[in-house]
Amino acid sequence: MDAARVAGGRGRPVAAGEAARARSQASLGASFAVRAAFIWPALLAILFVSIYPLLASLYISLSHLKLVRGGFEFRFVGLDNFRELLVGGEQGNFLGVLGPLGPVGWAVMAAGVALLGWGLVRAWRGGASVAGMVFRVLGAVLAAGTLWLAARTLLAAGGRPGTAMVTLVYVLVGITAQFLLGLGLAYLLTQGLPGQRLFRVVFLLPMMITPVGVAYMFRMLTDTGKGPLQPLWAAVGLSDFSWVNSPWGARVAVMVGDIWQWTPFMFIILLAALEAQDTDTVEAGMVDGANRWQIFRHISLPAILPVCATVVLIRLIEAFKIIDLPNILTNGGPGTATESLSLHAYFRWRTLDLGQSAAVAYSLLFIVTVAALAYVNLVRRRIAEE
Amino acid sequence: MSPLRRRSVNELPPAGKLAAYLILVGWAVVVLFPLYWLVITSFKLPIQVNSGPVYLPFVDFQPSLDAWRYIFVDLRDDTLRPYLNTVVVALSSSVLALVLGSAGAYALARFPYKPRLGMIALAAGCLALVAVAVALGMPPAVAVAVAAGCFAILAATIGRRFRRTLSNGDIAFWMISQRILPPVAVVIPIYVLFQHLRLLDTRTALIITYAATNLPIVVWLMRDYFAKLPWELEEAAVVDGASAFRVFRSITLPLSAPGLVATFLIVLVFAWNEYLLALFLSSADAQTMPLTVAAQNATRGPQWWYMSVLIQIMILPVIALAVALERVVSRGLLVGAVKG
Amino acid sequence: MTKRQCSRWAACVAAVSLLLAACSGGGGGDNQSQSTQGTGADQFKGVDVTVLTFTGPQIAEPLQRRAPDFNQRTGANIKVVTVPFADLYDKILTDLATGTNSYDAFVFDPQWMGDFVPPGYLEDITDRVKADQAMKWDDIAPFFRDFSASYKGRTYTIPLDGDFQMVYYRSDVLQRDGLKPPATWDDYLAIAKRYNGKDLNDDGKADYGSCIAKKRAAQSYWMSWSVAGSYLQAEGTSQGAFFDVNTMKPLVNNQAFATALDVYKQTTNYAPKDELNLDVGDTRGLFTSGRCALSADWGDIGTLAIDPKTSTVKDKVGTVIMPGSKKVLDRASGQLVDCDATRCPHAIDGVNHAPFAAFGGWSGAINAAVDQKVKDAAYAFMSFMSAPEQSNVDVTLGKTGFNPYRTSQFEDTDLWVKAGMSKEGADNYLGAIRESLQSPNMILDLRVPKSAQYQGVVLDTAVAQFLAGELTRDQAIQQIEQGWEKITDEEGRDDQKAAYTDSLNIQR
Repeated sequence: MDAARVAGGRGRPVAAGEAARARSQASLGASFAVRAAFIWPALLAILFVSIYPLLASLYISLSHLKLVRGGFEFRFVGLDNFRELLVGGEQGNFLGVLGPLGPVGWAVMAAGVALLGWGLVRAWRGGASVAGMVFRVLGAVLAAGTLWLAARTLLAAGGRPGTAMVTLVYVLVGITAQFLLGLGLAYLLTQGLPGQRLFRVVFLLPMMITPVGVAYMFRMLTDTGKGPLQPLWAAVGLSDFSWVNSPWGARVAVMVGDIWQWTPFMFIILLAALEAQDTDTVEAGMVDGANRWQIFRHISLPAILPVCATVVLIRLIEAFKIIDLPNILTNGGPGTATESLSLHAYFRWRTLDLGQSAAVAYSLLFIVTVAALAYVNLVRRRIAEE
Repeated sequence: MSPLRRRSVNELPPAGKLAAYLILVGWAVVVLFPLYWLVITSFKLPIQVNSGPVYLPFVDFQPSLDAWRYIFVDLRDDTLRPYLNTVVVALSSSVLALVLGSAGAYALARFPYKPRLGMIALAAGCLALVAVAVALGMPPAVAVAVAAGCFAILAATIGRRFRRTLSNGDIAFWMISQRILPPVAVVIPIYVLFQHLRLLDTRTALIITYAATNLPIVVWLMRDYFAKLPWELEEAAVVDGASAFRVFRSITLPLSAPGLVATFLIVLVFAWNEYLLALFLSSADAQTMPLTVAAQNATRGPQWWYMSVLIQIMILPVIALAVALERVVSRGLLVGAVKG
Repeated sequence: MTKRQCSRWAACVAAVSLLLAACSGGGGGDNQSQSTQGTGADQFKGVDVTVLTFTGPQIAEPLQRRAPDFNQRTGANIKVVTVPFADLYDKILTDLATGTNSYDAFVFDPQWMGDFVPPGYLEDITDRVKADQAMKWDDIAPFFRDFSASYKGRTYTIPLDGDFQMVYYRSDVLQRDGLKPPATWDDYLAIAKRYNGKDLNDDGKADYGSCIAKKRAAQSYWMSWSVAGSYLQAEGTSQGAFFDVNTMKPLVNNQAFATALDVYKQTTNYAPKDELNLDVGDTRGLFTSGRCALSADWGDIGTLAIDPKTSTVKDKVGTVIMPGSKKVLDRASGQLVDCDATRCPHAIDGVNHAPFAAFGGWSGAINAAVDQKVKDAAYAFMSFMSAPEQSNVDVTLGKTGFNPYRTSQFEDTDLWVKAGMSKEGADNYLGAIRESLQSPNMILDLRVPKSAQYQGVVLDTAVAQFLAGELTRDQAIQQIEQGWEKITDEEGRDDQKAAYTDSLNIQR
């Protein structure tokens, strides 16, 4: 079956490339005034609320707060707070406890480095500019560093992941699960099953509860004394297992809560996208004898791919900020097992260690910006043809 | 029903239907069971909650309206005021975000922007100059005037020398990157900002903040939506002499109703449920519902029964709105429009 | 340049002026009118006072209940505002430090005085208190009067509640088996071990020996110091239980604290298996539904146990002063040594007890930056709340969260019997409170600047990691010592030492 024949030849732009935009600008008579009027209100609103906090918290991350007579003062300490995080007393909390690399760790590192190297070579051969290569190399170095950290904390004996690694785990597992679930559910609800509308409303419910409320709800559910699931675990033979005393048990509980809460986000957007598909191409596919999987794979999926990319990016940025679930379920415990970066910053902030808190927040900013840039450049650009 | 839905009814074989239903019902159970637990907890007394799980009202335990009475009667005003604030703030900020955001999204989808990197760097530099000057003691008005002057003088030369431009994608990325910093890092600066504006403890402050922080989401979600719309319809209107605003208002927006509804619901939910900024920007008058939920965890431990009541009354309006909007959308605004 | 710039600036100006126009809805009340100098019902006519505390019903309920009465008596307008408990400290400090001053008075925890008093945020009420006859200042137990309410010899708060920790036990179970309530931590562990796994509330399920709130970032760091206190401090409150008063060295790197940590961890063996995730709300619920033989807690269990809505152990609860130790720390050598008359001058039956006044007892304080008349009205309200006519009733009601702190409150058992306690129960409960309050060796909670960092961050994290097995005992001790020294050095060792010694001296 010729997918290209099915999907193409309709004369409408799948994504607005530069050419289409130029056409639209010319045709819409979009003078400078019009273009400004459309975009500037949004830009100004964002600037108004974001400039001062950004600069202020940057300065705070380079200083130390002290309460003095008449108020407070910020004493400039340079990169002290960051040094504390990376190599100082906070390293155990932030990066984790590094164990020695075992054979599995070495294997993973080797595979990862090989993959990154191959990617770099391919980009160079493909004619990337010098500036582009510099960025790519930097990205590869950072990725290799993260892999090394993961190998030494997650895969090594005696290693314990710090808040940065734990957050990464939350994000990767959470987004994968939420995306697959959201897409699957959205797809099923476009199949014309009876009772569809009811399911749509029901599936939206978890996202509508305030995150603090969801966290308390899950705390109630997972309580081994008062929670409803206890008889279930006992029946299955797990009555002695206390998820809260096991680091990974607690982390799984946080991830389950996170997935439960945020799958509707992916679901509602992907559903809207699936339903907005051009029905003609789908009909043409059916006429041509394609089965459901082929239609999905070759027609629907490419059509919603830009939306998928967007929704994953938005959720990626939000997921890194996870705080309510680990805070309320276990207050970051047992020990520091479930503490995320945002929670780490919150604990410092709550006791007036504003400098350290801002330093953690800026580290989060750095990590997420790199991740988002990498994601946008590698994935989204390819999909949406920016 | 949309054509897509109608068509597929013929497609699914019975076995497939069963499998699909199993999955859907399974996930529905996963979603609804915690909510069921929440609802029955609101009808329990503390002793019934603490002694172990009981599942069925009237069978396992005697339900009581104690918690509901406490929230609605004992705390009447302390429940009503935050509730009203939440409704007003969330709706206003979401509408504002939707309006500004979809305009911005349309612009990014249709018009090519080429902001010059040089000018942006210059603006950032002048801003940094203002920050440093104010920190060193210069009165803000003077600092701003000086910086504006520098910007005006240097703009022409810098603009000519550094021609490297950014693209729409970069603007959009900048917007979404504003959401990266966790609220904990920005809450005190925002507090200070609104303190200078004398807007603390007002709904206005919350509306502005929520609209500004949720704008990037609207822009990103609607941008894809607009980009997918066929240009031919708009082109036809332009040929007929319509202005850009007219095209946007009369053609693009109606066509994107499903996307607008989905985006509105998401932004509404974000504003409805936000905690930390609401905590700090309000003191007595502008408190919102998430604060009352979190406040149920005090020195006695979480008061599960009260919390359940509060959570339930918080989600009811949002569900009602979602159902109503979904009905509006599926009443055929889409049928027949999306044709090449 | 022109066209582009003009449009940009125009947009900027438009947006800014729009925003400024919307500023009209600004709240922020300082709608103060000139009040006439009068007494009685017109004394504070037209004065608005905003009092901040956390959302109750504990602590907030009695304030909200009695405010209308006070308003009627004096013409003032007292408004009680509440915020979530976990964020009260930050809300107060942000409000004060940024000069917003949207709150005129606070009901907060005096432990935070270490951060609020040095910058000058709280009103010095020493003279007002001296002149106040109605409040019966001398009726307040000496500890709360002289330590909790004062800083560097000046008074800043009015106590409304007395917070210190005791141990609760199932009196019916212990009596049935002929056991005495625990006097030392070894006794505690023995009793806990004996009853762990037995059915204590006749529901067929195994129950637990000991329930202590060990959840991270909750109350665990106070519980751990309740255990450690009697090993560390023996010579009276002024000896201090956190730092050495001469060198400001933390009292953690020694055999006493190590032993205490071991004891603390050992109680987990006889506890619910997810005790590491239980905070004080959970443990109270467990104890009052009859599932624990022992618990360590503030005074709340006493009043919670007699509430039929929450308790199945009414009249089955006994209270005892915090268990102590027969060995104490020799600060010179860092070793545990046996108690004798010189080392443990306040020992009872050879056991050194050091009840821990954890957190301090909710008290009212006044914002120093508000108008004189508002301060007067706020002070009058706090004094009203603390006066025996109001306070003695409120401390018998569980929902108020006020625990006894006045000598008259634990000498008159009638009020308690009226509230639902049995006579023996009231005698036992009040007796334990009296014994604790009268102990000259009570531990004053840490009240230096950044106390929240010392305890809530460094100590709490290390203890949580130790309990969870992430750190060994000695690693935990090292981490606490290093963390505390770092904070002390950052704040200035001499400043911290001065603050610490100031908080420990009785000033009259």
